[in-house]
Amino acid sequence: MADTLKDSPIKAVQVEALVVMKLVNHAAKTFPTVATGSLVGMESGSQPGLLEVTSCFPFPSVDIPTTDDHRDNNNSANLAAAAPRAKANLAYQNEMIKFLREVNVDANNVGWYTSTSMGNFVNLNTIENQFFYQKDPNERAIALVHDVSRSSQGSLSLRAYRLSPAFVAAYKEGKFTTDNLQKSGLRYHDILVELPVHIHNSHLLTSLLHQLPSDAPKEELSFPPNLAALQQDPNTPEPPFFPNYDSLDLSIDPFLEKTCDLLLESIENHHTELNNHQYYQRSLAREQAKITAWQQKRKAENAARTASKQPLLPEDEWQRLFKLPQEPSRLETLLNSRQVEQYARQVDGFTAGVSTKMFAVKSNLLPGES
Amino acid sequence: MADKDSFLHLARPLGPAPVGAQPSTAPLNVVVQPQAIFSILDHALRRPADQDRVIGTLLGTRSEDGTEVEIRNCYAVPHTETAEQVEVDMDYQKQMLQLHLRANPREVLVGWYATSSDLNTFSALIQNFYGQQGDGTWPHPAVHLTVSTVPGEEIESRTYISAPIGVTAERAADSCLFIPVPHELKYGEAEKSGLELISSAKDNEDRSQPIITDLEALERAIVHVLEMLDRVSTYVNNVLDEEAEPSSALGQYLMNALSLAPKVDAADIERDFNNHIQDVLVVSYLANTIRTQIDLSNRLATAALTLGTGDALAGDGEQQRGGDRQRGGRGGRGGGQGRQQRQQEA
Repeated sequence: MADTLKDSPIKAVQVEALVVMKLVNHAAKTFPTVATGSLVGMESGSQPGLLEVTSCFPFPSVDIPTTDDHRDNNNSANLAAAAPRAKANLAYQNEMIKFLREVNVDANNVGWYTSTSMGNFVNLNTIENQFFYQKDPNERAIALVHDVSRSSQGSLSLRAYRLSPAFVAAYKEGKFTTDNLQKSGLRYHDILVELPVHIHNSHLLTSLLHQLPSDAPKEELSFPPNLAALQQDPNTPEPPFFPNYDSLDLSIDPFLEKTCDLLLESIENHHTELNNHQYYQRSLAREQAKITAWQQKRKAENAARTASKQPLLPEDEWQRLFKLPQEPSRLETLLNSRQVEQYARQVDGFTAGVSTKMFAVKSNLLPGES
Repeated sequence: MADKDSFLHLARPLGPAPVGAQPSTAPLNVVVQPQAIFSILDHALRRPADQDRVIGTLLGTRSEDGTEVEIRNCYAVPHTETAEQVEVDMDYQKQMLQLHLRANPREVLVGWYATSSDLNTFSALIQNFYGQQGDGTWPHPAVHLTVSTVPGEEIESRTYISAPIGVTAERAADSCLFIPVPHELKYGEAEKSGLELISSAKDNEDRSQPIITDLEALERAIVHVLEMLDRVSTYVNNVLDEEAEPSSALGQYLMNALSLAPKVDAADIERDFNNHIQDVLVVSYLANTIRTQIDLSNRLATAALTLGTGDALAGDGEQQRGGDRQRGGRGGRGGGQGRQQRQQEA
């Protein structure tokens, strides 16, 4: 991973607080539909390789008359996910950037963002979008992925990804056959390169943050006369934004259940892909057996013809007669593997936190035992 | 930040505007979302060097009776201001509004903001532009939000609506009475995690902060809770030592809090704990097993053919793949079992 990071022109991403807020809002508003939008910013002048994302705007939502048909629903979800590379949105993006330039926003497109749920974002749509951005308008483009359901559980989940150069090269050729994969040595770990993300606040914002929520009053307060007065005291400080007490929440099952479902789904996909591949292998073997049989027959015939001094029949006719089956693309398998890896990492992270919390609760409730 | 001034609204002022064309001046409550404020501050930083203040349009939602306004979003509008005249790019404002409405069809124009607390004749002019019929917010009043951005001072925000005032009809366009209305800053559940991260950077010298992991967040939260507990127990100890003044209300509050601790049997706790920790560990174990299986499967899929070429090899590869598939299947079944087992326990 470290090598691929070195090749990429972007080494780190710095996200303005404004972008975080806009992204979080947009994603929460459209949840569970995927929210997508465009990022604007520029590469840092003082620190080459650092991409500063200073603003963003959402793409227009795709309005499709929702019918009860399940297939149509699927279709609309697909359209929403494919929004970043839709023609209409490109025009929208260009126009928006033109307007933003007039008010001194860093008006360069630097990528796109998408929302996801439970890390379920490694799919063809994401890859195609990122490929589209990385190849054409700006080769330094990044994809910011915000995980709505994980963020609601505690700390914000925001990641930046790029496609690795090796993958881009392979994707350009569009061939993901076993041969090609062997030659390029591309593995599923190498599809996406994750970039470290930093949050950055402006001076004004820092000043604002120090004002809210208001700290506990500094001067000595008089004691409340009774309980009711205490609970209604306007001086009671609100819980601070940071640290967030939500991360002390003890719900386990929903998360595990959802992850297990998603994992099973991935395994099923993997299975289908393997079956496809096996089918291909079998039909390939069958065809090859047929070809060999035909070749032997033709050889025997030719031998007989030589014996009887007749003109020989051509031996390479089999290329016309038989057609070898096309090898299915392994791209889907690769992505699926990457997705499984993503889930497994996610579970790891979750387990680390939750087992800590559980031991804490246990020793809290049974003080004598630990 | 939202000021807690109290307001008294008296009878609506009578202006020279014709009857029916006058926007309502009924009092209203304004809720500002942090995103809008963030955006305004960002705009304030990007203002042209020779301009004291910049303005922009506020977007949001309005309740049906028009008494609640929620400011959700905003965008900057270029304008130039000199001693004699003010120029707002109306065309820009209109086109930008349309672009925004395409992305957020549910939001409407609610008013405008300025990055200075001053109200002057130009403010009145702009206010009347935003509140006019047709492109403006009419028949609802336009909300004017001022956010002071003087370096070194606290950021102060105020909201106003306006009532027409003026001596003659020709002066009516550039004069209006700004009526302060209460407003508050509210954030939603979804924004909390974002705000958490953003405000975690507020004490850093370079004003930046890497993304924190769940575990770090948990650690910090626990440390913070421990600090607070320490503070309370110091106080209680001081009371016991007769060093601090006791308060029955505080005592009662603490008692109530302590009685929230559930009274459960130790055996129950032990059982529940074991069940849950097993679930968690099993899922984690399975997830990692599956990951390994997938990795193995991928390696085998590409490694099978490197041994040679030809027919014998296809069969060989197939065998390997078959075996690999079985293993994958076992992983899958294992996952399924684990899940069933866990669901039973849950």
